[in-house]
Amino acid sequence: MVAKSLSEVAEALGARVVTRGSGLAVEIDRVYAGDRISDLLERSSPRTLVVTNLASRPLLRLADLMDVPAICFVDGKEPEAEVIAAAQARGTVLLVSPVGVSETCGRLSRLLGEGEGGRS
Amino acid sequence: MTVAEWPLVGGVYDDVGRATRALKEHLKRLGVDVGAIRRALIAAYEAEANVVIHARRGTMRCYFGPGQLDVEVEDEGPGIPDIDLALREGFSTAPLAARELGFGAGMGLPSIRRNSDRFSLQSTVGRGTRVAFSVRYRPQEGGVVVGHSVAVEAARCQRCRRCVRACPVQAVRLRDSGPSILEHLCIDCAACLAVCPTGALGLRGRSDAPAVDGGTLVVPDALLVQFGAAVRPADALAALERLGHRDVRTLEPWERGLRAAAAERARANSGPRPVIAPFCPAVLNLVASRFPGLLAQVAPFLTPLEAARRALQTRPAAFVTLCPAQRSSLTSTTGPGAAELVAPTSLLREMLGVLVGRPRPTVDEAASPVAAPTTAPAVLVATGLRHVLRVLDEAENGALGDVLLLELWACDGGCFGSPLLREDPAIAGHRARTWSVGDGPVAPAEPLAVERQVRRGVRLDPDLSRAVQLLGEIDRLARALPGRDCADCGAPTCQALAEDVVLGRAMLAACPHRPVEEELR
Repeated sequence: MVAKSLSEVAEALGARVVTRGSGLAVEIDRVYAGDRISDLLERSSPRTLVVTNLASRPLLRLADLMDVPAICFVDGKEPEAEVIAAAQARGTVLLVSPVGVSETCGRLSRLLGEGEGGRS
Repeated sequence: MTVAEWPLVGGVYDDVGRATRALKEHLKRLGVDVGAIRRALIAAYEAEANVVIHARRGTMRCYFGPGQLDVEVEDEGPGIPDIDLALREGFSTAPLAARELGFGAGMGLPSIRRNSDRFSLQSTVGRGTRVAFSVRYRPQEGGVVVGHSVAVEAARCQRCRRCVRACPVQAVRLRDSGPSILEHLCIDCAACLAVCPTGALGLRGRSDAPAVDGGTLVVPDALLVQFGAAVRPADALAALERLGHRDVRTLEPWERGLRAAAAERARANSGPRPVIAPFCPAVLNLVASRFPGLLAQVAPFLTPLEAARRALQTRPAAFVTLCPAQRSSLTSTTGPGAAELVAPTSLLREMLGVLVGRPRPTVDEAASPVAAPTTAPAVLVATGLRHVLRVLDEAENGALGDVLLLELWACDGGCFGSPLLREDPAIAGHRARTWSVGDGPVAPAEPLAVERQVRRGVRLDPDLSRAVQLLGEIDRLARALPGRDCADCGAPTCQALAEDVVLGRAMLAACPHRPVEEELR
């Protein structure tokens, strides 16, 4: 897998950048998609982009804990204001992909070379 | 032994992770190894979530021992009727509200057990549950290994070994798969990029010019003197403006600010001499890995690039970076924040496109020299790693007591010597000085918030007696090798191959001229 900057990721996904965190130059080289907190906890890393339906404050707390640089929500669903505020406070980049989890992961795996699919 | 305790409240899902976050701060301050931190956080988070999901209230208590973290999480709750069942993956009694938030996958207790070195669970139905676990830890090995920004494109490599020989810290090896960089040694300088004839080694990230979106573009001064005798820095700035960059800044104000602050510091310095001014990030990496004893002599300010980033943090800004170290310092998660990064290659091309065909001033008119000696006499300026290494060696030996301040740059001629630029550093540097207006705006130096950390560097093993043993083995093997430093094996020297072999990074068979087994005994 190759490392890609979050700006490249956002571009490849056609994703909307909701919060910029400390900047889109931060690089990721893993993607993990899932909706279970326990899975996300174990699979997250400072180089992981988390793709999830879970647009919640606990998720943002988890991202902060595990130093996850960016989260991508799916299906074009705008996160709630309190989620955006939590992301801003912690410097987490939030993206909203216009497509669902599987298509999002498909595009990401094309971008990153090969993908590691998670349960969702 | 230190103890810390945090209360937990049932039903408040938004708070799950709050106590674990506090635990993380403790572990980081202790300087515990990252693997242990990760395991401890996963286990603690799951234990905390269990209390919030199932109980009315509870506490998380942490005991920090010399080699181990002990955590006890006790709650007042319904208790667990069947512990064996609760420890089975996928079994959960979490309410719907928790499941909707992604909790209650039935992974909690198994995950605590998996991520700890000792685990116990006691529960009384109707009273509550007590989970205890321990995670063994050790000090984080020799400081940090920092990500580097040298990109390797193995397919382009023609196996010439120039990079292996050029690396001033012997961090490059040529493997069967192409060039490989030992990250713990790499200081992110541009020496390997500079000698690579095919572009197999380059700067990570994109090299296209930034989209023009009204943001600030920060360019190194060296970028403005790449267009021959008749194009002044002001003309180059105008070219950038014609390309659509309305707000272009150079790093000069921040360099001036740092120069002044470092000089002030050097004058007031009563500690060991000399003070080292933090200009070049690659030099700072070198100090942190090769000369950790000198780290305390580095003036506690951000580099000009970091200070510029800090100052421009609130607006969209793109930075033209001239080397891997600059790039790393802008993308580092510990630094003052990342920014958009631009390698100069294509920008230079675009600028040239605008500059060609413009009415040229006569050379006479352009080169009206302004005398601008910028460094005070007590500052020792050294550029190029060959010299920088020797200066730092002398400083480490305490032999530079007559020098108040050091200004060191990894590339020849400072950033003018970046391999990504076209003009010779001597010529470009001369033009920059000739055209310099002398004094200009000064941005005050930014004090360093987080201390610069020692890098692992060349240290063989955190355990001294083990390191001594390894050193002996390496020396013995190195003496048995031919000693021609031919680099045929892919390592720069016989000594380096010996170290690679002893540390398990390479096979002795890599040396085509190796002695037969008997001679090694």
